[in-house]
This record gives sequence, C-alpha cells and structure tokens, in this order.
Amino acid sequence: MTATITPQAVPSLAPPGGRGRGRDRSAAERPSAFGTAVLLLGAVYCLLPVLWVITASTKDGSELFSTFTFAPSTHLWDNIVALTQYRDGLFWRWMLNTALYAGVGALVSSYISALSGYVLAKFEFPGKGKVFAILLMGVLVPGVILAIPQYFLLAQIGLTNTYWSVLLPQLISPYGIYLARIYAAAAVPTDVVEAARTEGAGEMRIFTRIALPMMAPGLVTIFLFQFVAIWNNFMLPYIMLGNDQLFPITVGLSGLLNQGATVPALYTLVITGALLSIVPLVILFLLLQRFWRVDLAAGAVKA
Amino acid sequence: MTTTITRAKRVAIPYAMLTPAIVLFALFMAAPILYTVVMSFQTVKVEGLGLGSGSKKLQFAWLDNYVDAVTDPEFLASVLRVLLYGAILIPVMLGLALVFALLLDSRRSRAVRFSRVSIFLPYAVPAVISSLLWGFLYLPSVSPFAYVLKAVGIAPPDILSSGLVIFAVANIALWGGVGFNMIVIYTALRAIPSDIYEAARIDGASEVQIAWRIKVPIVLPSLIMTGLFSIIATLQVFAEPTTLKPLTNSISSSWTPLMKVYRDAFVRGDIYSAAATSVLIALGTFALSFLFLRVVQRRAFGQED
Amino acid sequence: MDKVAAIWNKSHPDIQITVNKQDGGDAAVTKLLTAIKAGSGAPDIMQAEYQKIPTLVSADALVDLKDQGAGDLKKEFTDGTWNAVTLGGDSVYAVPQDSGPMMFYYRKDIFDQYGLSAPKTWDEYAQDARTIHQADPTKFLGTFSSGDPGWFAGLSQQAGASWWGIDGKAWSVDIDSAATKKVADFWGGLVHEGVIDNNPMYTPAWNTALNDGTQVGWVSSVWGPGVLEGNAADTKGKWAAAPLPNWDASKPSNGNWGGSSTAVTAQSKHPKQAMEFITWLNTDPEAVKALAQVANIYPADVNSSAALSTPPAFFADQADFWSIAAQSSKDVSSFTYGPNVNVAYSAYTDAFAKAAESKDSAQFEAALNTMQSTTKNDLVKSGFTVK
Repeated sequence: MTATITPQAVPSLAPPGGRGRGRDRSAAERPSAFGTAVLLLGAVYCLLPVLWVITASTKDGSELFSTFTFAPSTHLWDNIVALTQYRDGLFWRWMLNTALYAGVGALVSSYISALSGYVLAKFEFPGKGKVFAILLMGVLVPGVILAIPQYFLLAQIGLTNTYWSVLLPQLISPYGIYLARIYAAAAVPTDVVEAARTEGAGEMRIFTRIALPMMAPGLVTIFLFQFVAIWNNFMLPYIMLGNDQLFPITVGLSGLLNQGATVPALYTLVITGALLSIVPLVILFLLLQRFWRVDLAAGAVKA
Repeated sequence: MTTTITRAKRVAIPYAMLTPAIVLFALFMAAPILYTVVMSFQTVKVEGLGLGSGSKKLQFAWLDNYVDAVTDPEFLASVLRVLLYGAILIPVMLGLALVFALLLDSRRSRAVRFSRVSIFLPYAVPAVISSLLWGFLYLPSVSPFAYVLKAVGIAPPDILSSGLVIFAVANIALWGGVGFNMIVIYTALRAIPSDIYEAARIDGASEVQIAWRIKVPIVLPSLIMTGLFSIIATLQVFAEPTTLKPLTNSISSSWTPLMKVYRDAFVRGDIYSAAATSVLIALGTFALSFLFLRVVQRRAFGQED
Repeated sequence: MDKVAAIWNKSHPDIQITVNKQDGGDAAVTKLLTAIKAGSGAPDIMQAEYQKIPTLVSADALVDLKDQGAGDLKKEFTDGTWNAVTLGGDSVYAVPQDSGPMMFYYRKDIFDQYGLSAPKTWDEYAQDARTIHQADPTKFLGTFSSGDPGWFAGLSQQAGASWWGIDGKAWSVDIDSAATKKVADFWGGLVHEGVIDNNPMYTPAWNTALNDGTQVGWVSSVWGPGVLEGNAADTKGKWAAAPLPNWDASKPSNGNWGGSSTAVTAQSKHPKQAMEFITWLNTDPEAVKALAQVANIYPADVNSSAALSTPPAFFADQADFWSIAAQSSKDVSSFTYGPNVNVAYSAYTDAFAKAAESKDSAQFEAALNTMQSTTKNDLVKSGFTVK
C-alpha cells in the first residue's frame, strides 16, 4: 500500500537524531493488562453465540428447551445423522450448492472486478469519471429492492429457478470494482504497462500477464469479500428459487424454521445445520488470514 | 516515449475491456432499478369481485404511490426509528472497531492473534443465522446475562420489550459488523511505517498518546469510509428485525423502511407501492451519503489536494 | 409428503411427481403469484391453505377443476370444506386435503393437582385460568398470540363471525362484528387481568414454557399433537385432549385453524394428469391414510377421517381422541375468506402485538377496529366495490 501520510500529520515531538533510544523502552513495551483485557472481552462477546451454537448442537430436541444453555450434551453425532437423513441428505446438497454459488460466483466476479478496476485505474478516456460514479451508485441499492425486478427480468427469459438465476446477478460487484481500482493504482506501475505497450503487447495480454499477478494479494481480498457476501446472501436465492434442490444453506435453514403453524419447527436440525454451515467459512478465514487486508481509504489519495 | 495507440483505440479499448462489467451492471442493476421506477408510477385496479380471469387492470397512477408513502405515518415512524437505530449503533460500532484496532496494533497488547480472529469471526455468520442465535440468547431462561443478574438479585429486563428491542436488534448488527470494521481500520494502521512513531517514542510518548495523536488522525480516511458504508447498511437494516419479529410483540411489520417494502411487496401483494417506497429509500440513502461525504470531505481528503 | 408421492410414483410410472418444500405460509404463495405474473417458474401442483384460495383465484393462479370432473368429488367432503374450495360458485379451484377443527389441550396432571376438569365453556376456561394463575403465578393456562392470525380467525369463526362476505358483485368486510368483538374482549380481559400470557406462540420461549410447565394449556387444533411431540416431547403422557370450550354449551360450534387443499396451477402443462394425482392424494384411502400418518393431518375426506382409530402418539392413552376430533369437525361453522386475507392477517399481527404488549383490554377493541379499517381500505384502494 502506498503511504497515505503527509508530514503535517506527524507532530514534531522530538529533535532530530537519536538520543537515549534505550530509555523507557521497557515501560513502553510492558504488556498492558487493561488493553489485553478489553481485547479479550471483545473476543468473548464475539464468541458467545458461537459457543452457544456448539453446545446447542449437542442437545437433542427435548433437551434444547429444558436444560441450561451452556451445559453440553452428547447428541452431536445423532443430530448430524438426523440432519443428513432429512430428505436424503438435502442439507449436504445445500452445502454444495452454496459452495458452487460462492466459489464460482466470487471467482468470476473477482476477475471482472480486477479487469474493470485495472481499466479504470490505468486508462484515460472520456466518460471515465461518470462510468465509475455510476458503478459506485450500485453500492447504494439494497439487494431486497433489486431482487423482485431481477426476478421479473429473468422470468422473461425463463431462467428463474435455475443455478444461473443466483449466479448471474452476483457477478457484478461495484464494491469489488472500487477496491480493484485502488489496488491496480497502487500495485501496477504505469511505466511497466507503457513499456509493455511499446514492445507491442496487446492490452488483454498486458492485463493477464503483468497486471493481474501484481494485483494478486489485493485480489484475494476481493475474492474473499465476494465469497462471504454470496455465501451469506439470503434474499436473492430466496426470491429466485422454488426448487429446494437448488437452495443454498441460508434459504434451506430458514425454510426448516418456517414450516407454518401445523408442523413443529425443526430446531435441532436448524441449529446443527447452522453450526456446520459456519465451519467452512471459519476454516477459510484461518487459512487465509494474511490476505484480509481491506484498505478502503488508500485509494482516496490516488483515485 | 510515444504510444502507438490511436485516438479511436484509446476510447474503444477501455470500453471494450469494461464491457463485461457494463453489461452485467446494465442487466442486473440498471434495468431492475429502471423497472422499479416504472412500477412506482403504476397500480392495479380490480373490477367486480376480482375472481375471474382478466379482472385486474394495470393503470398509470401518477404520483399516487409516492403521496401514499410520504403521508403514511408508519413509513415516517420507520424512518425516524431507523435514524435513531443508526445513531445508537454506528458510534458504538465504529468506536469499538477503532479501539480494538488500536489495541491490536499496540505493542503492549497480548493475545492479539486470538482476539483478532475471534472478533472477526461473526463476519462469517449470515444475518439470518445470527439473529436466530441471539434470539435464543435473549430468552430469560437461556441468557447468561439474565443468569448473572438473577444471581445478583436484579430482575433481568426483557430485552425484547418495546422499550429495549431497538438495542436487541442493534446488538446483533454490532456483533456481526464490528469485526469487519475493525479489520479495515487495522489494515490502515498496519500500513503506517513505524519510524513515524520512533520520534514520538524517543520523546517518551506513551502508547496511548501515540494512538490518540498520531494513529487516529492518520487513519481518519479509513474511519470515514467505514462510517459511510455503515450508514448505508444501517439505513437498509432488514434481516435482523425480520428474524426477531416472530419472537416478540415489539416489532411490527413496518418497523424499518425496508421491512415495509417487503411487507407491501410480498405480504400485501402490492408491488407498486413497494416500488415507490424503495425509490424514496434509495433517494434518501443517496442524499444522506452525499451530505456525509460533503461534510467530511475536507477532513478526510483535504490534505491530499 | 415425499413418502406419499413415492407411493404414487411406484404405481404410476408414466406420471411422476417431485415434491419441493418451501417456506410455509405467505412466502410460498407470494412466490407462486410472482411466478404467475412473470409467466414462468410455477409448479404444476400447489398446496394451498383455504384462506389463500381467494387470493390465488383473483390472481388467475389456479385452474378451474370443474372441467376436469372435480364436481364428482363433492360427496367426499363436508359442505363447509367444499364451500372453501368453490367459493360458493360452480367452479372448483382445489381439492380439499385436510381440515383443522380446533381443540383444547391441557396438562392433566396439573389440572388434577388443582382439582380442575376440562372447561366446557369459555366462562369455565376463564375461571380455570384465574385459579391456576393465582395458585402459582408462574403458570398460565394459555397465551394470546399476536403472531397467529389463523388462530384468532378460528376462534372468531366459532363465535359466529365471518370476516368477509359476497353480496352480488361486491365484497363486504365484517371483521369488527359483534362476534369477533366478543372474542377480542374475552382474551383482552384475561390478558389485562394477567391470568393469560401475552407472548406469541411458536417461539423458543413458548417451547420452553411448554416444557417447564409454565404453559399448562393450549387452544389449538386437531394437528396439535404433532407440534407437541416435536417441541415438548419430554412432557408426553401428561397432556389430555378435549373439545374446544363453547360460548353456549347447548349450541356447540367450532372454528378451523389451518387446513389446506391441493390445487393445479395455471402454468401446468399437464392439468389432466395433475388432477388424477390430487384426486388420488386426497380421496384414495391408502393415500389419505399415509398422509394422516406421515404428515399428521386430519383428512377432510369424510370416509377417511371416519377410518382413523389409533390415537396419535403423543396421546397414546387417550382412546377417544378421534371421536373428539370428529365431533369438533362436525361443529365447524361457515366462514368466507376474502381476496386480501394477507392484508388482514398482517394488520392483525401489527395491531394485536401492540395491544398484547400493553396488556390493556381497551386496546384489544381498538386493535380490532384498526384491523377492520385497514382491510376494508385496502379493498377499496384496489378498486373493489365494498359494501
């Protein structure tokens, strides 16, 4: 990332030259009990519901509403089996669907964002400002509002209730384009691009061979961001899909909860399903920790 | 250094490369928005009993839908409520995100790795699921807070009662969002070269002073952009109150503007009123964002001009 | 439902049925309506609760089955049920599947403890509620649920109300009739006194209450055992079933909570085959028996409901369960649903949630008035002639 600091931001507290570097070093590095406590408190607050869902998944139906919250039981395996047996493994199909939607969707969307961000960062052309502004306005529009008209439009081509109906609308990510533009501006030096041009390389070739690799770390962030957004999306698949074989987990679990008055809500299945659905994302986070660098404002300098 | 790109190519090539984005945007954002705007000026009228085929007619409604929306007391109440909700949620969320980020960046903190991952974890949980989980945790018989309060002899307040339910909803949004915002700010902090601090440290400045007087001003742009996106997300709050609604008497079907849109479109089958309300919400969000950026423009980006 | 469809699929290789499960309630209907409007995406067959039929019909979503010979099925069902799928005319919009005559379930062990027996009238119910709550302030005989408009509709039906009516080419809206007012005042009074709880049903809190004995009664319907089994399995054996308390013991009446029918959608390309399947599903003894066992429903087909003998698992030692159900079903009075049931139901939830929260009985009547005006105004706004 390019530095966003200017000299004015730094108060001049010290005369030039290093004097007494070792002084008070131990005091400045002494572990702060207060600071650490605050962090741990935050961690506990954030982990509380996760802890709850873990213990609740170990309970069977009758224990769920009759035992103390955080006292675990032994039925986790039974619950997982029951969940798997529900309509012949439909839950796992939902998991696969979600992975498909999120994986393919985020991959393609990231590529398009990268391409668009690169063009917006590295080219000068008439209307560029307007194009960017219009794209950004897409961030302002909530998904709930878009979902119904999108449904009508797709119904005209007969694409509703298919995998495409959930994949296609999520390929465009204005926020991803915004981020990509910042990364492209920061990570791809214009002279390298110019040099490649003078050597006669085509624009797409320059993008694929030179720019893309340079933007890679930022692109991982964009990919992960869109992956999580699609994984957690409820409204769009809810509207688009009627065939429950195509559901992602969010819609599937919600359906288990809302079966109407005459059927009991399948709480244990929902809770176990919720736990299992969180696991893949958590693993993804832990594995790719170092790529989670979301620097929104760096681009403000270069935009 | 001459380029070999002609003038025409200079325009054609970028637009060609932007084609996927433009096409997708046109199909899945512009077209639906246009369609919504068109629908907001229409309505359906019925003839007779409305039970036969062809008994419904699509009509032009001028500004009727808009007038109805603006004069609807439920809509106005929901707008005020969501502004109050934002006023409660955003300072707390950004404040906590900032504090956590600063603490993570401080040399004096321990358990940094664990805290960072834990606080970020809720981002992995979709709003529908997190509302379900917290719905359970709000039960007096289940809630650990109630347990602690009862142990001390205080009757636990009913967090789902109409006076407190706004906090119940805000808490869920806070839980889900503070980690993401924390990482945004933390990333900006990490980008600061540490020699900036050296001078201050040599002079004996404490970590707290450094945080307050050096770090915060530097990450102000990040803070502001985060604030903006939080405002937009907050004005569109929908999933959390909708999931909590069946659990309590305190949340009506038009508790937030977007819930009213959903109810009109899906429950009442009146997609035209919903379209008009949506347009109003979008305009309001846009206006607020514009205003916010205007106000903070100089603070955030002024120094770079 | 999969399992029942599987039985058909085995014996009918040329007509195969696939079942898709959706969110129960409003969402499924709305998706169907959206699909109908958009011209594609609707299934061939749709499960439709009775109160949704006018809405579906007015959206041109359903095929008129009289052209498929549905008129022959009239004798299989009670007049009331048949009326619900024909809307009083010649057209047949759906085949009834099950009905939901209301019943009352209570904790026999706790009733015995306080020397009470199942209430036969609402006055007795109120008295029992007071007795139980005064003896143990943590216990409630029931709760007023602002989240279940169908429950309130059924109770109003029992009191003699019919919220909509057809008069020539006009609809009438009569939600604030004297009968419904009576019901609203009754429950408002009990909530005001504090002897009945004011929180919605079907929540984790309510499930917990069923389990730990703080909810000792449930005004419900014939399909209640399935829900109790699912959410309060540990209390099995402690509950008993009884007919719903009456306003006037000499003139028994009842209402329906839920109950659905099967219809063929307008987008189906195979209406004839679809009709074959739904006729089999709802009238063939083997199919209906499977439905009753698997889906825990009370068949609308009069021959099949007479054939039920073993009481549901949750009430295994109550041999007279089905005879209570049969009598309850006979007592159901008529009720007409209008084209904007969703609006009325949503208004109910909003208005009565406020009233229940306030625990003020005057607000219950106000809520009823709000519900009436919202429903009526919605019809007028849509262009209907409303008397």
